[in-house]
Amino acid sequence: MKTAREEEGVLLRANGLEVGYRGRALLPPMTFEIRAGDLWGLIGPNGSGKTTLLRTLLGLHPRVGGDMDVGAGVRLAYVPQRGDQDTAIPGRVLDVVLEGVDRGWSFLDPTATLRQRAQVQHALDIVGAGTLAHQRFRELSEGQKQRVLVAGALVSQPHLLVLDEPTSAMDHAGEHAVFDLLGILRASRRLAVLIVSHHTSLLLNHVSHLAFTDRECGASVAGRLEEVSANPCFQSYFRGLGFLHPDVTVAPPGGVG
Amino acid sequence: MTTTDVPTIAQFFEAWELFQYPAASGAVAGALLGWLGVYVVLGRMVFLSAALSQAAGLGVALAFWLQIVWGMTGSPLASPWVGATVMTVIATLLLMADRSPGGTRREAILGFAYLAGAAGTLAVGTRIAAEIHDIESLLLGSAVAVLPDDFRLLATVAAIILAIHAWGARGLVQAAFSPDAARVRGLPVAALRIVLLGSIALAISVCTRVIGALPVFALSVLPAAAATRLAPSVRWSLWLATAIGAFAGFAGYVVAFLYSLPVGASQTLVAAAITAVVFAAGIPSVLIARSRRARRAA
Repeated sequence: MKTAREEEGVLLRANGLEVGYRGRALLPPMTFEIRAGDLWGLIGPNGSGKTTLLRTLLGLHPRVGGDMDVGAGVRLAYVPQRGDQDTAIPGRVLDVVLEGVDRGWSFLDPTATLRQRAQVQHALDIVGAGTLAHQRFRELSEGQKQRVLVAGALVSQPHLLVLDEPTSAMDHAGEHAVFDLLGILRASRRLAVLIVSHHTSLLLNHVSHLAFTDRECGASVAGRLEEVSANPCFQSYFRGLGFLHPDVTVAPPGGVG
Repeated sequence: MTTTDVPTIAQFFEAWELFQYPAASGAVAGALLGWLGVYVVLGRMVFLSAALSQAAGLGVALAFWLQIVWGMTGSPLASPWVGATVMTVIATLLLMADRSPGGTRREAILGFAYLAGAAGTLAVGTRIAAEIHDIESLLLGSAVAVLPDDFRLLATVAAIILAIHAWGARGLVQAAFSPDAARVRGLPVAALRIVLLGSIALAISVCTRVIGALPVFALSVLPAAAATRLAPSVRWSLWLATAIGAFAGFAGYVVAFLYSLPVGASQTLVAAAITAVVFAAGIPSVLIARSRRARRAA
């Protein structure tokens, strides 16, 4: 049965959310909602508080002020940066994806992974990595690794998938493939996705919503793409990246909204 | 020395009644430390077992010192078991209290525990000359000092820890190696890490008292290093390291009997030999993989 929050489509709600350390806020308060099917980008200069915001949203870091509410029954899944994955740890693709099966105390059920083998294979098929199941994870290409990590997140059937720099070690084609895959998942499963990325131009061509943080400029804005792109700090940041005007590149090729 | 001077394996098993407890202790400690060693090696905490075993050694030395200097012989508070456990728990609590970003202070704390433990054991040893043989046994491993009660305690602790770890392996592996993703999915990562570190501390304190600090360090590192090289996954590594550890613990004892070696050194050398063979055997496949990558890049 769906919760009232799921019916409403709101998965995560931040109301005057302040993030920071030791009681000191790094950024101005933020208010926004992430709904089913949204594709959010989180961007900003280096050291702008992106990681702190991301970890706070995931519940890995305590908030400094305001409210944040993840709907009851809403399942989150997180794919950390590829650099956080230790390639010295042995594991086949199957093992990496199986890790994603467990939620709460389910790891105490010895039969859980046996029962969910089909689900694991299905998740691998969805990301186009169905034939890789028995290969060693460390031997895959960067693009294949990212697909497998996404499969590991999908296997727990999340409502909101959070990816930190999913395309950082990929070539151009690999980046496009990941964003295309996320677009398909979003459309077909009403999966909400939040992506942190430094590859701003590509991100802006795919996302429906944006969170932008810039400590130096004192900006932390979140909302629909067109709302955020009107922010002076965002426009200054955007121009600094070498783009003429946000609206020129921001206009997505359709499917966003 | 003629060949007739060297004892045979048949002679070892003929005298099984004499050697059963220390030999079985080597196997049980090897199995337990092999399993836990996978977390130690893959978690890049190799120095953890060295530091904790030295802390346990200091605890045992202090227990003897209390018995001799303070006349606490027979008091449960001055038992070597209690001493080893208390000092290991203190070292573990120091480690768990580290909140430095990325655990940057952890290495310094481990170094402190190791050095304070090693130097403290030697210093206390000079005040309890009558027990110096026990201290040496503790550091290097003892051939015949394992009493039936010591073995039973070790076997009980090993059975409990291995049962808990086998049951909760999926959670423990995730808490150790992908804690953020596990936390987001609601796994009780903090509790699992307490179980993990607590069981490593308990295992090291008990094993140090029974087989000595050197083989404890060796058996908690070398079998896991070999197993993680061979096995396709962490779960297979756990079982393989357990088997290698049990073999090294037992075979090391047999080799010590055959060649009149210190037991701890012998167990360490057997584990090191297995690891060296595994690493050497892996060299061709590493070279092949490298050349494939180079060809692909070209």
